[in-house]
Amino acid sequence: MTDVPATSGYDVLVIGAGVGGMESALSLGDMGFKVLLVEKEASVGGRMILLSKVFPTLDCASCISTPKMAAVGHHPNVRSLVYSEVDEITARPEGGFSVRLTQKPTFVDAAKCTGCSLCEPVCPVPVPDEFNYDLAGRRAAHIAFPQAVPKKAVLSRRGTSPCSFTCPAGVKPHGYIALVRAGKYDEAFRQHLEDAPLVGVLSRACYAPCEESCTRADLEGTVSIRGIKRFMADRYYAAHPEPEYGPPKVLSGKKVAIVGSGPSGLTAAFFLAKAGHTVTILESAAEPGGMLRWGIPSYRLPKSVLERDLKNITALGVQLHTGVKVGSLEALRSDGYDAVFLATGTVGGRTLGVSGDHLKGVYDAVGFLHDVNADAPPDVAGKNVAVIGGGNVAIDCARSALRLGAKQVYLVYRRSREEMPAHAWEIRDAEEEGVHLACSWDVDQVVGYDGRVWALELVGSSSTGGKGRKQALARDESRRETLPVGAVIAAIGLTPATSPFSTEIARAANGTVKATPETLQTSLPYVFAGGDDVLGPSSIADSMGQGRRAAFYIDRYLRGVELSGTVFDDPLPEVDRAQVAAEARTDAPARLPVPAPRLAVGDRIASFVDFEAGLTEEEARANANRCLDCGICSECRQCVAACPADAIDLGMRARHETVTARSVVLATGFSPFDARQKPAYGYGRLPNVITGPQMDRILAPTRPFNAVVRPSDGKTPSNVAFVLCTGSRDDQVGNRLCSRVCCMYSMKQAQLLMGSLPLADVTIYYIDIRAFGKGYEEFYRQTQGMAVSFVKGKVSRIEPTDDQDLLVHYEDVEGGGGEKVARHDLVVLAVGLLPNTGALKLFPDGAPASDVHAYISEPDEELEPGKTSLAGVFVIGSATAVRDIPDTIVHSEAASAQVAAFLKRPGAKA
Amino acid sequence: MTDEKSRRIGVVVCQCGGNISDYVDTEKVREAASHEPGVVSTQVQMFACSDAAQQDAIREIREKKLDGIVVCSCSPKLHLATFRAMAERAGLNPYEYTQVNIREQCSWAHTHDPAGATAKATGLVMAGIARTARSQPLEPIRVETLPQALVLGAGVAGLRSALALSDLGISVHLVESSDHAGGQVMRWGDLFPHDKVGAELVASLVAEVGRRENIQLYLGTELVEKSGRVGAFSVRLRTFTGDQIPLKVGAIVVATGFEPYTPKPDEFGYGLPGVITLPELKEALARRPKPLVYGGREIRSIAYIYCVGSRQSADDGTGHAYCSRYCCSATSHISTVVNGLDASVKQYHLFRDVRTYGKYEALYESALRGGSLFLRYGEEAPPVVRSQDGALVVQVKDRLLGGEEVELRPDLVVLVTGMVPRDNAALTRVLKIPVGQDGFFREVHVKLRPVETVVDGVFIVGTAQGPKNVAESVQSALAAVSKAGALLLKGYVDLDPQVAKVDPNLCVWCDECTKACPYGAIDRVAYGDKEVAEVNPILCKGEGACVPVCPKQAVSVLGYTHEQVTSMIDALAKEAV
Repeated sequence: MTDVPATSGYDVLVIGAGVGGMESALSLGDMGFKVLLVEKEASVGGRMILLSKVFPTLDCASCISTPKMAAVGHHPNVRSLVYSEVDEITARPEGGFSVRLTQKPTFVDAAKCTGCSLCEPVCPVPVPDEFNYDLAGRRAAHIAFPQAVPKKAVLSRRGTSPCSFTCPAGVKPHGYIALVRAGKYDEAFRQHLEDAPLVGVLSRACYAPCEESCTRADLEGTVSIRGIKRFMADRYYAAHPEPEYGPPKVLSGKKVAIVGSGPSGLTAAFFLAKAGHTVTILESAAEPGGMLRWGIPSYRLPKSVLERDLKNITALGVQLHTGVKVGSLEALRSDGYDAVFLATGTVGGRTLGVSGDHLKGVYDAVGFLHDVNADAPPDVAGKNVAVIGGGNVAIDCARSALRLGAKQVYLVYRRSREEMPAHAWEIRDAEEEGVHLACSWDVDQVVGYDGRVWALELVGSSSTGGKGRKQALARDESRRETLPVGAVIAAIGLTPATSPFSTEIARAANGTVKATPETLQTSLPYVFAGGDDVLGPSSIADSMGQGRRAAFYIDRYLRGVELSGTVFDDPLPEVDRAQVAAEARTDAPARLPVPAPRLAVGDRIASFVDFEAGLTEEEARANANRCLDCGICSECRQCVAACPADAIDLGMRARHETVTARSVVLATGFSPFDARQKPAYGYGRLPNVITGPQMDRILAPTRPFNAVVRPSDGKTPSNVAFVLCTGSRDDQVGNRLCSRVCCMYSMKQAQLLMGSLPLADVTIYYIDIRAFGKGYEEFYRQTQGMAVSFVKGKVSRIEPTDDQDLLVHYEDVEGGGGEKVARHDLVVLAVGLLPNTGALKLFPDGAPASDVHAYISEPDEELEPGKTSLAGVFVIGSATAVRDIPDTIVHSEAASAQVAAFLKRPGAKA
Repeated sequence: MTDEKSRRIGVVVCQCGGNISDYVDTEKVREAASHEPGVVSTQVQMFACSDAAQQDAIREIREKKLDGIVVCSCSPKLHLATFRAMAERAGLNPYEYTQVNIREQCSWAHTHDPAGATAKATGLVMAGIARTARSQPLEPIRVETLPQALVLGAGVAGLRSALALSDLGISVHLVESSDHAGGQVMRWGDLFPHDKVGAELVASLVAEVGRRENIQLYLGTELVEKSGRVGAFSVRLRTFTGDQIPLKVGAIVVATGFEPYTPKPDEFGYGLPGVITLPELKEALARRPKPLVYGGREIRSIAYIYCVGSRQSADDGTGHAYCSRYCCSATSHISTVVNGLDASVKQYHLFRDVRTYGKYEALYESALRGGSLFLRYGEEAPPVVRSQDGALVVQVKDRLLGGEEVELRPDLVVLVTGMVPRDNAALTRVLKIPVGQDGFFREVHVKLRPVETVVDGVFIVGTAQGPKNVAESVQSALAAVSKAGALLLKGYVDLDPQVAKVDPNLCVWCDECTKACPYGAIDRVAYGDKEVAEVNPILCKGEGACVPVCPKQAVSVLGYTHEQVTSMIDALAKEAV
């Protein structure tokens, strides 16, 4: 933006690059002073550039503004910083001011962006366009408006969406939801694939913490995020039986061994291979997948889905060696591997540790599920089965037992149902299918008969208080029960398979490998570990997250880059979910959840087929449409792909800067009156009641609709009313003052309307017509001459008709008095302008004085325009009193003379 | 001279966001331009003046090594400087740039004939290309500026601008035609909105002016002559004693103020005892009479008649059509002053619209709270003031009461008179700055250059430019100071090099050009064994009065040479066939 070398010492800081701020910066720059112009929006130009034409000359607002906008961008003495905020201004002991400011991240490298706009059409997130006063939409990736200076794209980001922030695997659900919503299913899949390769697995078997964090869950119910993912994965896999890519072209020459092909091993392999390393997975079992293959029953994860996911990894050239047992890390080293990722996963469970726990018919969960998945299940048909444990594995065992034809299945858990670690919906599904919960029971002994399980002896048990699994248990001997069972499955804790390496790397007492949590590097520098090996038994998503993290640091290790000094994943802070939910609570109809259809219970437990059907395209999109776009930008990265200049930088963060300035000009403008504060006028409720600024957008050359139409039905209005003094001269809304510009801008709009709709009737309801400036009265006469009708009278309320026309009730002051009603098909509220008090917060040591109306005051308004109560701090334009454009410009130029005199005062130090 | 066939010219056609493209087929214009010899680049832009479009053009100039550029957009008054600066940033001589006005001259002028507008635009663009094909790089004429300013008028605006110029280190000659400084404000008491006393206010300024060593105040003195150019004007003052004072100044600030409107005899009863104007009331109240007595009679009730001399229907051509801006606020305010003196005085305001804009609304509220009654009259039925048995009678049809006729018998009728321009004819002749239809001095552009005039270095401030209150007058006074500061603090100014030039080989010194030149810019010099005319480029304004009078076609204006103008005419004529 700036042609001026950044310096930290300025003569003048101008806050606000509206028409006044620009004029001030330019006139001071012309006098030779070094000016820093700070604007909070993404473009200079303020409100004026958004107008259509300007009174009384009917010049095009763009034509007047753009040269000034371009000039501040190129003036040798002016540095302009857009999308920036001044945080604090303090007086320096040696004179002048110290100014702390923040350049907000645009997530677009301004030096690279050419303003080509290619990022806009690919962005799937619609946002109301504030530069069109919400009349139309824009995208999260956008350029403020066509004449923006600088013409650079900005990504609107409010933070990380809760779903994406929550995902332990590093997936960005918001991104693919937004793409599915836009019908870009393949793009959605590819976006997911960038973050995690096991798309199908996650779409079936993930516990979906994203859904719990979904803001919509606070309203009508969560977006079915996993359902959307399954839709997009199924659809993609049906169309693409093979991946669309092959091995990378450029290889690093480094070799990595990955021990174990579970979710963390596969994920690490994927990212390392993409980075160009030669990756070999060493798997001890006969087939790859680890827990995904052997631990998850196929009614939850069909094997075909896993097989297709595996191709995502092997297509990159990853070698998968099965049936290979690794006994020594050193051996791998000598085999030529430059790094090792240890991801062996968990092998087996603990035994129950009670008498009878070795009887026939007692199984450990891992073994049981393995045999089920290997199609060699133990025979439990017709038997009563007890599953011991309250976790997700226990649930899988119980539901598998049902599908194997068990007579009754009991889930025995030592604590209360509320304390069960399994996901609530899993418990619910299990119960629905007929699993009996036996909570607050502990196993006292397994009773055998003839070497086989015959019954379980249960004893009462409960937590001693509090919550969680760390609480001590208390046995309640008064409660005892004998449960006749033919099989017992112990699902009470799994152990990592790290024992072969106990002499080579440091391990904790529970068998987990000691690794630096950030880098996952172990005590042997070339060995990294992750997944269950580090975390203990953990979810698929957690394990995948570990694999991705390990790959990131292994890659750095292989490239010889310091592991420290970086952060693996540095998302923007999570958005305030409560605030997003609050903003979403409107009168709009509820958006109810669209659940995935399921098989009937009887059909479900008859076999190991998928128990849930996928969403249809309509259902998936309906679901995606329920997304609230919490973070605004969805991080889908379509813009990254579309940008020819490689300018998008999602990692950009706010930049803070402290500069000095010898003087300060406050050019912070006004706040428009919020017409919702006049509920009787219906703004926000009645679509055809719009505000003056919106009407200006409709009439502007860069108008959103390219025609004058009313919002409700796009009809060309034929009878338009302007209601003056909306929010001005009105004690009810707390603004007694006149806003100066509304009479004139309404007459201007009336004239423009008459120009484009010559047959339309235009009525202006007014109290007084205040056409006081040079050429204004003449403009009023001209408007009268165009047959605009002027009605003196205050409008009391506006009501809709059935066809969205409007009944305007008004006091007919000069037509005999009393309330009258007139019908119009579009009503424009000429909203007034209010003080913008934001600038006063910038001065911790005492702000400039303000007047009774809350405007920044000029203590000697007559002779010292622009001077505030603080020496060296000046105020211009509407920040001190509402002004029209000509008056603002004159006032700004006047203040510049004051600033110049201040800077050149005797004794002033340059 | 460059051969026009080998030129590399770029053409940008602007849509002006619909202002042009709604009526002119911009793509067709571009297409036509692209076939012209020498044109190597053509573009259509939504807003050619936007920064992004300028960047596009700059890229095009650099990449295609353009040596001339034509932008077809709006009036050069608006954007000539914009695009010259753009050319300069691209490394192109700014005088290789031509602006073609296809907005004011085509799209806006022929809204009912898009095809005709397009044809005309095409012709003008061809002419612009022809001119550019024969253009030559020119360098601006850099001349020094003097850190001295002349301020005309020592009212509040003149005094304040003199002080502000002095603050910047610019010496000021402050010239007042009357025998005292202070202007109109000197005679006024409490001013709205802060109840400052007018006389005290200007007295403080006059005192400060007296303390400044770099301000010279001339009373009873007038400007009688001005010549020279921006940054170095030669002016001549004449004192009341008839002495002539020559001065050199870099800039001139015109702060000559207004006249209060004087009602015509019998206009709203003016001339009857007890019928006075607002300034007369203000002057009277400045003495704070108690009890309220005027002209010997005690005042128990006052009727104010608004808009006397303002907002007059222009039908008869003699009235003042404009609104005088300050009077509603001033009258609302003065009624509160009256209230302060005697709260029992009844006050009736016969108004048309109450224009207490912005914060001044609070004055109107105070007047209402003080018991003032407001009656609205229409322009078509103005109040009638007459005298009956020595008493004043005012009849008005109050529109707020459905046009009911109301009869008032006030002790005093105050005609709320507006501001009218002074007789500026003499000054206009000397300064050559224009006045508007309202008779006040006219700025270049109310938003782009609100205190500048068409004569560079001459500024208009205060009520000389139009009705204003004190604060607004001072604001415009200081605005002019910041503009004059930018001009004079640098120490130099670049003048337009598009000035006349004489070919001494053709010139035979017939003296015709000297007679035609209004600026005295042509000298007679020796050239070989003959005498010829020579143009002083610093004094020449490039207006070209000398060109048609020269019998030998020896003189032409750079940038508009005979060859260029002829080629433009040819291009236009070709298109018309």
